[in-house]
Amino acid sequence: MRKYGMAVFGWMAASMAAVALSGCGQAENNGKIQIEIVQYKPEAVKAFEELERKFNETHDDIELKIDSPNDAMTILKTRFIREDYPDIIGIGGDINYSNFLDSDMLMDISDYEGLSEIQEAYLNTAKELEFVPEEGTYAVPYMANAAGVLYNKDIFDEHGWSIPKTWDEFKALCEDIQAEGIQPLYFGFKDTWTCLAPWNAISVDLAPSDVCAQVNRGETIFTEQYREVAVVIKELLTYAQADPFAYSYNDACTAFARGESAMYVIGSYAVPQIKTVNPDINIDSFVFPASNVAEENILNSGNDLQFSIMENCPNKEAAYEVLNFLLEDENVQIYLDDQNAVPCKKGDFTLPSMLEGMTEYIREGKMADYQDHHYPSEMSVDAMIQTYLMDDSENALDTFLTRFDTEWVRYNRDLIQKVQEYEAKGGN
Amino acid sequence: MKKKMTDRERTFLLITIPVLLLFFCFNTLPLLKGFVYSFTNFKGYGSYDYVGLRNYKDLLADARVGKSYLFTFKYAIVCTILVNIISLLLALGLNAKIKAKSALRAIYFIPNILGGLVIGYIFGFFFTYILPAIGQSLGISAISSSMLSRTSTAWIAIVIVGAWQSIAMNTIIYISGLQTVPDDVYEAGSIDGATGWKSFKNLTFPLIIPFFTINMVLCMKNFLMVFDQIMSLTKGGPSQSTESISFLIYQNGMSGGQFGFQSANAFVFFVVIVAISVFQMTFLGKKEEQL
Repeated sequence: MRKYGMAVFGWMAASMAAVALSGCGQAENNGKIQIEIVQYKPEAVKAFEELERKFNETHDDIELKIDSPNDAMTILKTRFIREDYPDIIGIGGDINYSNFLDSDMLMDISDYEGLSEIQEAYLNTAKELEFVPEEGTYAVPYMANAAGVLYNKDIFDEHGWSIPKTWDEFKALCEDIQAEGIQPLYFGFKDTWTCLAPWNAISVDLAPSDVCAQVNRGETIFTEQYREVAVVIKELLTYAQADPFAYSYNDACTAFARGESAMYVIGSYAVPQIKTVNPDINIDSFVFPASNVAEENILNSGNDLQFSIMENCPNKEAAYEVLNFLLEDENVQIYLDDQNAVPCKKGDFTLPSMLEGMTEYIREGKMADYQDHHYPSEMSVDAMIQTYLMDDSENALDTFLTRFDTEWVRYNRDLIQKVQEYEAKGGN
Repeated sequence: MKKKMTDRERTFLLITIPVLLLFFCFNTLPLLKGFVYSFTNFKGYGSYDYVGLRNYKDLLADARVGKSYLFTFKYAIVCTILVNIISLLLALGLNAKIKAKSALRAIYFIPNILGGLVIGYIFGFFFTYILPAIGQSLGISAISSSMLSRTSTAWIAIVIVGAWQSIAMNTIIYISGLQTVPDDVYEAGSIDGATGWKSFKNLTFPLIIPFFTINMVLCMKNFLMVFDQIMSLTKGGPSQSTESISFLIYQNGMSGGQFGFQSANAFVFFVVIVAISVFQMTFLGKKEEQL
């Protein structure tokens, strides 16, 4: 009895150990090198499935696996906590990239040849995301997106409205639209992140593009730089539907698709969603004119998808091979056709028609990155903006700006210390 | 002197040890690990430094954490009171000699079988579209816009959903409590003239106090850890007014980069819950009566 009992006990312990250990270490299947990509755009799953299939058909030595989970960032971070890393990650050029890089998790790929085919502007955008300037290159920008104002071209043509170039023209246009009994703007502010879409588009016009870095160096404060931005975003509510905080992103996309509003302040990434509701809608876009000096109004564009190789990826050569494949012109075009994106690669690609109003800015490089790419996600700036927009009291503006400054210091303490130590050592 | 174990005792031991080990691996060990992380500035990945008690000091000064504690306690207290009153009333009704008693009991138990997220999404739709439509057609301004979009009403919506779901379980516990009260107690009581409210106050309630205790403790603990309803109804909004402690820990610890700080928060929260449960048990335990 006793022996039997111990055997049971030993078996249980063994099986528990097995449970604990499984998940670590991937065996190499049938002699092929396995490369795993986790990319964070679930809406692009079809394009990536096609690319994955195509790659595996043409390569005998490498087996590519591409995961496109929902809420990939949480999944990735949970996997990192378990020290379970994919080989390549496809993420946005935002604060997460900065954090991963700052934690020494990404591989220096400055010897990768494909980098020479990427447009300078986007490589610089990735460079600017580094907290303190690092040696080397850590990301291959793949796709960019642009944000501004989407408008319903049919409604505009019908009434002969023209594209506004300044803030006053924009307000006048909204009033014209209202006078015709049409809803000028529609917002889905129930999903707090949508508050960032107008915020970003306005702030590239009215605040310096490196405002966060300036604040970290102690050169300025947000109360000075964001005052105008905050005033403009609140004025937008005058032209929005009643109670915009009751409706989600989906609701807003649906409403715009059905022609319930003439314009929608959001990024190009919303177009696929809008088209699922109304495939025939005729959409074009223009740059958000937040400034009354037309030249100050620039396009809000950032790295929507960029690839980085993880530091402990064992097969660097194979990973480069995968990147080469993804950057082949026809494969870039597969993604473009599916996602209405802007390619970061040099060359002649067919751009989606709804970006016509913005192509001039893209060609001339008159663009700046999303400011929220520099905000730490745990600070929840989106919710702060939502709070400010819902706040009807007289000193709402000052409350918001003061809060922005104090919370910024609170959430970025380690970073600010790091930056100032770097500056004290003389920077470069 | 060593006593030899009997087979019977050994069997019990064999049953206990694996469970204890599992409990240790999946409960105690993570707790201890989290406690260690709470002294670091760990982001959840990559390299990190030990920062001593900084996270705990920050906890006291953090307005968002403070707000989440206030919200969670407000929610838990209101829900606990509401759920216990309603489920006790329901239990009294369902324990009486009425028609279709078993069928009714089964129906009232259904909310407990459904998952918290499922219920949350259904109620989310109800609060955003159906309830305002009813409000508008009846001309009641209080409910003619979505309850979830205003800071003053969003928490009430979450209370309604949370209470609706947990009343089922508590009712079952109260029914089983009421069944332990023997009939002769009531007979003796009625001879002394105790009927209706008097009989409930002086006979029924004192005898089911053990069940009341367990319900209070379970309710309070469950409601303090509210997560599903928040996730599916408001995601902490509007204006961060409905962020519960668990939600904040998950949100900022996992997808934000505050693993270390939120580990400290989680540890403090664990201590708070243990303290409250112990307090409830000792305080209410004193009032229990035995026949």
